[in-house]
Amino acid sequence: MNKEKDVQIDWTRLHEIIAEYGDEKWSLIPMLQKIQNEFGYIPPQAIPVIADKLKLFPSEVQGVISFYAQLYTEPRGKKTVRVCRGTACHVRGGKTILKLVKQHLGIDEGETTDDLEYTLETVACIGVCALAPSMVIDQHVHGRMNPKKVGQLFKQKGEQHEST
Amino acid sequence: MQPVTLTINRQEVSGHPGMTILELARESGINIPTICHHAKLAPIGACRFCLVENEQNGALLASCVTPIAPGMIINTESPRVLEHRKMILKLILASHPDSCLVCDKGNQCQLRLLAADLGIGLIELDRIPQPAVTEEVNPFIVRDMSKCILCARCIRACQELVIEGALDYFGRGFKAKPATLNNFPLEYSECTFCGTCVALCPTGALMEKEALYRGAIGDAVQTTCPYCGCGCSISLEIKDNQVARVKPAFEEQDNQEALCVKGSYGCDFIHSPKRLTKPLIKVNGDFQEASWEEALAVVAGAFNKIKKEHGADSLAVLGSANCTNEENYLLQMFARCVLGTNNIDNGSSLYYNATLRAFSESFGFPGITHSLKDLEQAEVILLIGASPEASAPLVNYLIKRAVKLRGAKLIVIDPRRTKLTFFADCWLQPKVGTDLALLNSLAKVIIEENLIDHEFVARKTDKFQLLAEILGNYPLEMGEAVTGVGVEQIRQAARLYAAAGKAAIIYGTGITQQALGVESVKALINLTLLTGNIWRKGGGLHALQRDCNAQGACDMGALPDYLPGYQHVGEAEARNIFETRWDVILPSTPGAGALEIIRQSREGKIKGLYITGENPLAGFPQAALVKEALATLEFLVVQDLFLTETAKLAKVVLPAAGFAEKEGTFTNLEGKVQVIRKAIDPVGESMPDWEIILQLAGAMGKPLPFSSLQQVMDEIRELVPLYRNDRETNAPEEEDLWDTRFDYKLPLKTFPGFSLAEYAPPAGAPDDSYPYILLAETSLYRSGSGVRSTNSRRLSKYSSSFKLRINEVDAQKMGLSSGDQVRVVSPDGQLQAAVEITGSLPEGTVALPRSVPEHPVTGLFSSLPEAAAKTSARKTCYVRIERS
Repeated sequence: MNKEKDVQIDWTRLHEIIAEYGDEKWSLIPMLQKIQNEFGYIPPQAIPVIADKLKLFPSEVQGVISFYAQLYTEPRGKKTVRVCRGTACHVRGGKTILKLVKQHLGIDEGETTDDLEYTLETVACIGVCALAPSMVIDQHVHGRMNPKKVGQLFKQKGEQHEST
Repeated sequence: MQPVTLTINRQEVSGHPGMTILELARESGINIPTICHHAKLAPIGACRFCLVENEQNGALLASCVTPIAPGMIINTESPRVLEHRKMILKLILASHPDSCLVCDKGNQCQLRLLAADLGIGLIELDRIPQPAVTEEVNPFIVRDMSKCILCARCIRACQELVIEGALDYFGRGFKAKPATLNNFPLEYSECTFCGTCVALCPTGALMEKEALYRGAIGDAVQTTCPYCGCGCSISLEIKDNQVARVKPAFEEQDNQEALCVKGSYGCDFIHSPKRLTKPLIKVNGDFQEASWEEALAVVAGAFNKIKKEHGADSLAVLGSANCTNEENYLLQMFARCVLGTNNIDNGSSLYYNATLRAFSESFGFPGITHSLKDLEQAEVILLIGASPEASAPLVNYLIKRAVKLRGAKLIVIDPRRTKLTFFADCWLQPKVGTDLALLNSLAKVIIEENLIDHEFVARKTDKFQLLAEILGNYPLEMGEAVTGVGVEQIRQAARLYAAAGKAAIIYGTGITQQALGVESVKALINLTLLTGNIWRKGGGLHALQRDCNAQGACDMGALPDYLPGYQHVGEAEARNIFETRWDVILPSTPGAGALEIIRQSREGKIKGLYITGENPLAGFPQAALVKEALATLEFLVVQDLFLTETAKLAKVVLPAAGFAEKEGTFTNLEGKVQVIRKAIDPVGESMPDWEIILQLAGAMGKPLPFSSLQQVMDEIRELVPLYRNDRETNAPEEEDLWDTRFDYKLPLKTFPGFSLAEYAPPAGAPDDSYPYILLAETSLYRSGSGVRSTNSRRLSKYSSSFKLRINEVDAQKMGLSSGDQVRVVSPDGQLQAAVEITGSLPEGTVALPRSVPEHPVTGLFSSLPEAAAKTSARKTCYVRIERS
């Protein structure tokens, strides 16, 4: 899970964002959202700085972040792949699709590829059961998935890996 | 306020608005079982176990968080309630392991007790997989999250009682659990191992680690913690004449269930294998075990001989700030009546003297002005020259509670960044040792900006004009130049302090152990007088004391110039009371204080010395000279729990019993007299100090007129002014200590006077050969001269290294990195230490921990006593750092 990802944090920008908010407790969530919008995630190293500003305990800030599914403390990929694990997709082989995506990306559910291209998640149902099995990459729905399509979708990525 | 009337279990009851159903039910003698609720913690309704039914609408309510309302018809044990309560418990048990048989919490587990009450054994529900066990490497606390039931008692204890915030919920749903930042082990978190969470955890999720004994506990004895001056009540759990565990004493109000690591886990020194069990007599350079009769005969013979040959003043006694009031009372009686000398002092004089002198000169009595409870009312707290987080943890909690929970303002004056500076509204960073200049600047601003309490100053104080005149000519810019704190910051702090209705000052050894200690304390008194805070509850001055009975030892007259109750030995009237009672002629000239005793020993003037419970070799300045002095003595007898560095130099060593093995009283830093109760029999042949003193007096042919401890207590209550009323247990809550102290017929001044001393740079200012200023820091894991904390297995295991803290810039300049071995050299000594790089110290300042007997940092200080306080500067000195 805790792969070392070589990410440099833009501390100047981080301090700028934190400085934009007042030191009232309720600034916490807007502040976290803004940081996540700019950085793509909330760097754990930022937690003590945020806590210091709002006079909260760092563990308290972490508690809030870990409570919300939409706040992340690990860098996210540029694209988020959400494979549907709803019933309709399941009976049409959704499980295998997920397995194949995992193979192609070399990561498990909830993880991000080392090159920070993709983050893999599952969803319970995306509401396009007619297109089962399906998955979503960012906002784009890919329906009637099969092994070949999975291969094509992530082919580019494989090549990139070889070229670098 | 209109009382609210409702029905609980068909019984009509009424309470005041805002009360919860649970509170009212318990008040009315109706028991509702709870798990997550605790009287000291804010209710959160996490476990839902306390649910009750409102029969009007059938709603099931969590009684711990539901306020009472008029006309409610509550049933706490309706069939529905019982059914749901059982189900809740089953659900909790479904994610709890069945390892009760091997769980150390055993019969003390609240979950297990409740399951037994409801008749729930093994449950039919599917089990929920357990999260992994967190293994800790610290020697104090072990966490097993598979036993956690998410009651959040630990989280609330950490955030509401000790305000460390090491723990909070982490994750959500099934994954949720209390965790530290980044889910690290406790030792990498803010945790200070105070043990509060362990004491409050209802299950075995948080448990004491490396406890010596296991199994069911027989008895619990409530007594007082023997470490710092806070005097927390502790409960010693006893099994087979052994202290198995220490817990906060739940009845006590002031310490709110929160001890510190020393109280919770440091008392294991009681059963250290290194405890002295028999008297020792040195024969040809080696100690040989002896019987009490032999040992006492040798001591008595030697003392009688020295007294006969060289006079009474060739003998001296060093009492202990860790011994009880009764023992110190007997000890000063022993010195004055049996030996016939005023050469008696106690170890606390090295840091408490400045307070004693300044208070007696300004107020006419050297005592405490306010109780710690008054801090709860303070609107502003000014903390200067103190690290309560290490030296007085309870005060640390009280300050943080005031700030975090009540919104009090905190002014911290400290060159270092500490945990408390995080809570400060105003943090002044003066250069080390320039506090006096800063305090005078604050007084100047208060006068200049007319922030004074005119009525109080005019009616109750003296010499205000003088102070105003001198300060009138004192430019603030000079204050800035000396202290390095900007004029604007000084003004801001002064306004904050003076504008508050109630402002308290807390100070510690950073003030009292400075070269200008007395003057600095007087400057603090000036501030309280100017603003009238000395009279108000929530105001006043609090001096932190490092030893559990520093106050008591001084109150009892273990001082060279005061009889018990601060009655000066020079006053015939005071002497007369004791002379009539004891039927002796008391010496009337003040004797030698602690450092003077050492000096006179070295000069050969003092030939016989009786030390009880002190370790001057580790605690006094210039260890080498102290060693030389003690070695020069014709006869040295040391009475202690352990064979200390000092005891090794003695001719006779007497084994004393520890705090858990005797009766008596301690007086804490607020002047509260607290009971010490015997929990176990003395280890080996050791005896309580008071018994040894009585027997020794008998052996010398001058028995003291007491046959029991109770008689000593009675006499103290009769003859010592501050102890006249029955304050053996806790003082009544509404009692105002300041007022009651005024009730005593003490030579109090009606008009406390202002006094002003100007800052003067200390001798031996930094030059090229000694460019750094060294701070001796108190460590949370050590205490006093380190005798007991070093012999506590867990404390010494956790904090065994001796590290020199140094600023990163300074370290870089010298090319040092963490872990490098260096030599710290002062004009008076040198020490070896490993480097630890820190961002919390200002440049040019380095710090070493005190209370490490094998590396006595006090050895680096000069023993030159400053005239007024008769103690030398023992907080700072100039050093250079060499690679080794």
